[in-house]
Amino acid sequence: MIEGSAVYYDGLSNKPHAVTVRIGGTLEIVENGLMIAGWAYEWIRRADSSDGKLRLRTTNGSDLARLVLTDQNFAKSVIEACPRLEHDDPSSNTSTGRIVFWSVAAAASLILIGLYGVPFIAERLTPLIPYSFERRLGEMSEKQVTTVFNATPCESPDGVRAFSKLISKLQSATDLPVPINANVVRSTVPNAIALPGGRVYLFRGLLDKANSADEIAGVLAHELGHVKHRDSLRILIQAGGTSFLLGLLLGDVTGSGAAIFAARTLLDASHTRDAETAADGLAIEAMNKLGRSPKPMGELLLRITGKEDRGLLNFVASHPLSEARLERMAASPPAVPGPPLLDETEWAALKQICGPAAKDTKTQNSKT
Amino acid sequence: MHDSTSLPGSIPTSAGPAPVNRIDFVNEGGRFFRMLARGALLLLVTFGFYRFWLSTSIRRHLWSRTSVAGESLEYTGTGRELLIGFLFALAILVPIYVLYFLIGIEFERFQAFASTPLFLFMILFGQFAIYRARRYRLTRTVWRGVRFWMNGSGWAYAFRAFGMQILVFLSLGLAYPWYAAWRERYKMRHTFYGDAPGAFEGRAGQFFRQGIGMWMMTVGLAIVLLVVMGVVAAQTRGRALGSFSVWHLLIVLIGIAIPVISLFIYPYFKALEWRWWAQGVRIGGVSMQSALRGGQLLKIYFKIIGWALLVLIGWGICAGVIGGLFYVMVGDPKNFMHFPIGAKIAGVVAIMFAYLSLGLSMGVVQRFYTQHEVWRAVVSSLTIQGVASLDGVAARGEAANALGEGLADGLDVAGF
Repeated sequence: MIEGSAVYYDGLSNKPHAVTVRIGGTLEIVENGLMIAGWAYEWIRRADSSDGKLRLRTTNGSDLARLVLTDQNFAKSVIEACPRLEHDDPSSNTSTGRIVFWSVAAAASLILIGLYGVPFIAERLTPLIPYSFERRLGEMSEKQVTTVFNATPCESPDGVRAFSKLISKLQSATDLPVPINANVVRSTVPNAIALPGGRVYLFRGLLDKANSADEIAGVLAHELGHVKHRDSLRILIQAGGTSFLLGLLLGDVTGSGAAIFAARTLLDASHTRDAETAADGLAIEAMNKLGRSPKPMGELLLRITGKEDRGLLNFVASHPLSEARLERMAASPPAVPGPPLLDETEWAALKQICGPAAKDTKTQNSKT
Repeated sequence: MHDSTSLPGSIPTSAGPAPVNRIDFVNEGGRFFRMLARGALLLLVTFGFYRFWLSTSIRRHLWSRTSVAGESLEYTGTGRELLIGFLFALAILVPIYVLYFLIGIEFERFQAFASTPLFLFMILFGQFAIYRARRYRLTRTVWRGVRFWMNGSGWAYAFRAFGMQILVFLSLGLAYPWYAAWRERYKMRHTFYGDAPGAFEGRAGQFFRQGIGMWMMTVGLAIVLLVVMGVVAAQTRGRALGSFSVWHLLIVLIGIAIPVISLFIYPYFKALEWRWWAQGVRIGGVSMQSALRGGQLLKIYFKIIGWALLVLIGWGICAGVIGGLFYVMVGDPKNFMHFPIGAKIAGVVAIMFAYLSLGLSMGVVQRFYTQHEVWRAVVSSLTIQGVASLDGVAARGEAANALGEGLADGLDVAGF
């Protein structure tokens, strides 16, 4: 029988026991001729050591009992006798493989939830959220949004009158559940946006490029479609949900960090296209109800985005192709043509709501 | 039978031939570095989940290379425990974050920054997490087959620590020694090795006296700057602008000096704090002395800055080369807009990958120096007395769960 000397800590006190270790039926630990412990080989594991000594523990006994072997040759024989010495050591290759496998599985399921689960939850959650709350969210996001662009409202009296007339006509045609708070603002970006809580901004940059009231009416109807479907609220819930999930992945629950932002943008972009198509549907419906063709709106969009060029502007980045949108709008003329929404003088007043056309429209043009 | 009457410095001779009063650190920096590098790669492919196992490996490495009286410490925690702790912490943090978000909306509507109290609440929660995380780490620390452990209430600690920190803030840092003394007393009073109780005997007054000079050179100088600015503003009122006086020059010089001095003073302050801490800690009859010098820490900080810059330059060159290749292949970046969606996603993923790689390599540098090198410097600086008083200590205390670690991870207040 092979035996050697060792130091044994029984886990009950820190007293070192000078023992003899025998490789028998079990690993027998003998102190003064008396066997004080017998460790079954399959339960023996290696404990951390840095001084060249072999430290052993057992998973089938006192948690903290340790056996320290100094004799290298004897240690070798003990190592040979213990079949599962390195088992469940996280620095071993098999368990690293398991960690990688489960991490990738967890990541995949989180990404799938981000792609399909979060939009579904947002879809179901949105109708349950009261409008008063949505308005509050709107007030918050308004503060943030207005730091990005110039949101000073344009207020020439005639222009405002024409704009309110247009809005009230559209409102009656879209059957909105909330009051609308719409403004023309000074930003020269050709865009229009809807925030949660019925806040709609039409940028003068878009107004400057429009040739007729119908073009603007179509765009506004599209934004009212977003308001009606509560798209901004839903996107907010989605964005919050996906950044939260990605935060889980990367270990930051608050969800900040550039990587998260990039990934979120990527995920969200795929969600918004459906919302755009639905808003277009409502715009077409509203224009038809008012007896006007939605086609001019499509023409305005194409004029801004240019053919196929999906530009760098937000307005189009997440939208369907302008050609496809124009095609769809051109295919839906009104059943009974109605009177113009604004007369010539009203349209002229609306165009001048911010004063004379901005000088930098030319440069904007060449950019798009 | 621990002999708590043995004075620091008196060397017990009863414990046999082994060099009893020794604390050593085995330097295997290369191995530690390789572990970090491998860990960084695994963090990348596991979307960060490997962090639980990486911090476990780091602790196992550092603990097992630290030995007291010839017997090394052992860290018995596992990555799996940390993962479970994190999941539990999520169950607590997620509802709190949702609530935080909703209440934040209500308050922000009335006034910007009205949700600051909630932010303060999260700081309080962070203190709780720190205390509980320490408890986890301590109960996973084993020496001679007996574990360290800790009791005391995490919340009691968190509330008091929070209150003391407000005092520190209001006193412009002058109250810090009293906060630190209270903090260490509270922690050590609830710390045990088996049945040997811990204590902390460091004096706040001593810390204050040794640190007041550093305070004067940083915060004191800032106060002087404010006073000078006030005087100059009062003098120049009503006079023609643009008259550049000696006072203006003084303001500029002090303004430049403060951040530079602070940068250099900080490691010296940390070294002072370590020395003061080591000298105050008691476990049973064990006491320590530290000879840590500020210059050692300063050197480590300079190395961090130097290597971080090198890493940044290295990745910058890589990004430049890849960007150049991309330009050669695609031409105008605008053309990229016409690419199919798959290529765009690949592009964004590649950028994310590069960003994460940069972050992870910075993490390797930071961990190597702030964990391994600082640990090495501190442990190597220690001398220890009265280890024999721990002979025959009986095991006590249970292994605590890793909830605190999980909370600390979620709240981003984790240390080691």
